[in-house]
Parts: sequence; structure tokens; C-alpha cells
Amino acid sequence: MKTPVAENERGRNITQWMSQKPLFWMILFFLIFPFIMPYKALATLILIFGLFSLGFNILYGYTGLLSFGHAAYFGLGAYGCGILLLRYDVSVWTGLVCGILVASTGALVIGYFCLRRRGIYFALLNLAFAQMIYFVAYQWVSLTGGEVGLRNIPVPPLSLPGFTLSIQGSLTFYYFSFFLVTIALLILKRILDSPFGRVLESIRENEKRARACGYNTNRIKLLSFVISGAFSGFAGGMYTLYMRFAGIEYLYWTTSGNVVMMTLLGGAGTFFGPFVGAALFLFLEDIISVYTKHWMIVIGGFFFFCVLLFPEGIWGRLKMVLDRRTKP
Amino acid sequence: MEVLKTENLSIHFGGLRAIDRVNFALEKGEMHSIIGPNGAGKSTFFKLISGELSPSAGKIWFNEEDITRCPQHIVSQKGIAVSYQITNIFPRLSTFENVRVAVQSRKTAYNLWSRAESHREINEQATKILSAVKLLDKKNVLAANLPHGDQRHLEIGIALGTAPLLLLLDEPTAGLNPTETMATTNLIKEIARDLSVILVEHKMNVVMNISDRITVFHEGAIIARGSPQQIQEDPMVRKIYLGEKEG
Repeated sequence: MKTPVAENERGRNITQWMSQKPLFWMILFFLIFPFIMPYKALATLILIFGLFSLGFNILYGYTGLLSFGHAAYFGLGAYGCGILLLRYDVSVWTGLVCGILVASTGALVIGYFCLRRRGIYFALLNLAFAQMIYFVAYQWVSLTGGEVGLRNIPVPPLSLPGFTLSIQGSLTFYYFSFFLVTIALLILKRILDSPFGRVLESIRENEKRARACGYNTNRIKLLSFVISGAFSGFAGGMYTLYMRFAGIEYLYWTTSGNVVMMTLLGGAGTFFGPFVGAALFLFLEDIISVYTKHWMIVIGGFFFFCVLLFPEGIWGRLKMVLDRRTKP
Repeated sequence: MEVLKTENLSIHFGGLRAIDRVNFALEKGEMHSIIGPNGAGKSTFFKLISGELSPSAGKIWFNEEDITRCPQHIVSQKGIAVSYQITNIFPRLSTFENVRVAVQSRKTAYNLWSRAESHREINEQATKILSAVKLLDKKNVLAANLPHGDQRHLEIGIALGTAPLLLLLDEPTAGLNPTETMATTNLIKEIARDLSVILVEHKMNVVMNISDRITVFHEGAIIARGSPQQIQEDPMVRKIYLGEKEG
């Protein structure tokens, strides 16, 4: 009688330990990730859009605010980074930081106005603002290149103490992105586990009560919006570096739609869900687009069935099953 | 000393005078009940005091400070908490987290860098409150999965989490069976030892049992106030409130 219980316990301990160190496993996984994928560029793309979805998830999954306009922050980050690199000959770091700053400032201004309304009005105000930015970028050719976008953005080698490192190769660029995404993940995890992160969750669950508990929910939601915009802008800046190009389609509403789909597919409100969703989405797109240019139909159908079968997302469902196993 | 005072407090919704020139005063440490038929304006009165609604006219003082135009979260920070009639909890957070986040509101909201669990004082305070509302053994259960009676207690626990000086209890025994009502009544008695409490309640046995004083609302105005015994004997109250119930 005793032994199976003990074994069970041991098994539980291992799974518990694994579930307590999720970041460790994720980082380990992404270390070997490019060798699992059909080609390295796809792995990089998954990292970048995973980060974007993660940024979106702060607002949707953790604060309970659905935005249909996150293309704006992704695009602002992409153009902020791209314009600086192309016109001012700055380092990659300066470009990325500038992208993050532009995106956060955009989020601060847009968030300030959008947060005056709730629910569907909030979601659509976001869409409206994002479309405004899209059209401004479209018209302001001298700054953004308009319809053509910004081409041939230089990506200077990284100057590290003692040596310089070119990030042109697809594998070096992957590990460069991996490094940045890891830092972003660590920061994000820290924020979500902080007292502030807990207030976000309480607002998602019951904003009225959070306010009655003495939290200035309007200001907290705005801060969440800005953080979400900053991470989205970070992803946008990385995408510019990866493509060496900043295009008007980054700002288009389909980008906003994709990030909603990726997040829901993986599982909103879970830490890794958005990554899983982004990976599935991009992987499917990559495979199917070889056979047909109507790949969106297949992904759409897949999305449809996933949302019907696992409304909590693929990772969300997996997590539920795992939690049930590990909890006594 | 008066903890709470309202002066000609009024709110109108269109033509309806939901609260009409109410002058109310609460002594420090008092356990004061408000009774009155449905629609008398009791819950609206709570919403005005807690800052959820802004009055059309009149003033509210809390510890001799004018809080009439304070937004809701500021009123909470000053020390007024509400336990709601319709259960108003954080459903997909654990019972512990429900209270913990309320306790945390007194310390920090914008701390982005420490671990929420690492704040010992907050954890200890939350544990103490859970034990007071008899939910410590269910601390890891999702609030949504608690039975109704426990949710009513959690509701009070969240309000206590904000360390209030004045607690507004809006029908804390709503939907409870007689045994649960008894338990909750005892809980309120315990709480009221250290706090000023205003209780809105329909169950007369509860009100008469635990109140120091009672105020009777009718159609948005105060029609009587006094000790439980005075209220029971007041002919006007008997006619429009107690009488209605008996008839």
C-alpha cells in the first residue's frame, strides 16, 4: 500500500517542481527551438509575435480589457525603431528603446481617451485610434515612406564590451531575439506576480469591488495599458530589425485581429498561452500557405473549432488538466 | 463624537426623490440599523456615503471632514467600507486572494517589483480576517465555488480587509437560512465591538437583537429613530413598516 502512494508523491513532486519553474522550462525550450522548427526564421517570428501577444495579454487576459487596436503599438514601436535606425544612424539598442518609448507614449494618450468608455465602446475606440494612426502613417510619406514603408533599414552590429557582433545571420538573430524576449519575459513575470499584478487581476474579476476597496482603478488600468503598449512596441521594434523593413501593414487592423486570435488560441490570462497561440498560428500559416493562398480560411476554421472546444485556449486547457493532476 | 453625519442629503433620479433631505448622525462605536420597506432608499443611502453615487444636494461628514464629493476609492481609503447586498466578490480568485487584495489596498497599489506573496504583514492580516469570518479552512477555494453562505461571509471579509473605521452592512443575511443567519448575526456582533457599523436589514429579530439604535426610512426620508424598544412601540412605524409585514 505504501509504495504506490510514495511513488505518486514523488511524481507529484516532480510535476510540481516543473510547474513551479515554468520560466526555466520555457527558456530551455526556446534555446533548442530553432532546431525543431522547419527553418530558423519561423522560430524568430514566433518569438516576436509571442512577445506581442504577451503584451496584448496584459491588457486582455490580466486586466480584462479587450482592445481591437493593438496594431497601433506594434506599428508605433516598429516605425519608432525603424525611422531612428534609417535616418539617424543609431545603435540597435537606441532604436529599440525609441520604439518602446514611442509605443508607450501612444498608449498613454490613446489609453487616456479609450478608458473613458467600457466594453465594446472601449474595444472599438481602440480600433478607431489605430486606424487613425494607420492613415496618418499612410499619408505622411516623408516620415514613414507611406504605402511603400521604410526599406533597407540598416541593422548595425551590436557593440559589446570588447567586440562587435553582427546579428545578420538567421541563427544569431534568433538568439539575439531569444535574449531580448527572455529579459522581457522575466520583467513581465515579475510585474504580474507583484502587488500591482494582483490588483490588475482583481480589476479583471470585479472592477467595481476593486474601486470600493480603495484602488484608483482608472489610473491602474491606464498604467496597465501603457505597459501593454510598451511590450507590444518592443515586439514591433524587434520585427523591424528582423525584416529590416517597417511596413504600413504593421499598423493595419488585421495585425490587431491576429494578436487577438493568437492570444485566444493559446489561452488568455495564462502566462504562456499567448506564446503557444502565436506559435500555432504562425506554424499553420507557414505550412498551409505553401499549398494555398487562402490559408486564412483554414486558420479561421481551426480557430473556430478551438474556441468552441477550448474556450480557455489550448494552453489554458492543458494547464487545467495539469493543475488537476498536481493538486492533491 | 460623531463618526458620520449627513446634512440634508438628497439625490434625485429624474423626478424621483430617492433620498430626500436626510439628516443622519452616527456615534463612534455605535451599531446602528436602518430599516424600512423595499424602495425606501436604504441601499441608495449607502451608495451616497460610500461615494458610489454623488448627491444632488446636501453634505456628508466623516470624522468631521467633508467627503461629499470624494470619489469612491478615496472614501474607501479614508476608512468607510461596504459589504454589499448582492454578493460582490472576485469570483475567479481564491478566497484568500479576495481578502489579501483588499488588505493590500491599504499598503500598496503601484508596487511592480516585489512578489505579492512576500508581504508578510498583508498575509498575516488576511489570515486573521479569514479566521474571523470562519473561512480559513477554505482559503484556497475559488471564491466562485464557495456556497452562498460562505460567499456572504467572504463579502464581509473583503470589507474588513480594508481596515475600515465605519462598516456599512447591506443585508448581510440575505438568502441565508436561520442557522446561517444566527452565525452571521454573531459575527456582526463580534465585528461591531471594534467598529462603527450601520446595518441595513429586513430580518427584525436580527435588528432588534443587535442594534444600539435604529433609524426608519420611508420613501427616501427618515420617519423615526430611537432605541429598538422605542421603534417597536412607535405607532407610525408599526403602521407603515411592521404592520405591513404582519398583514
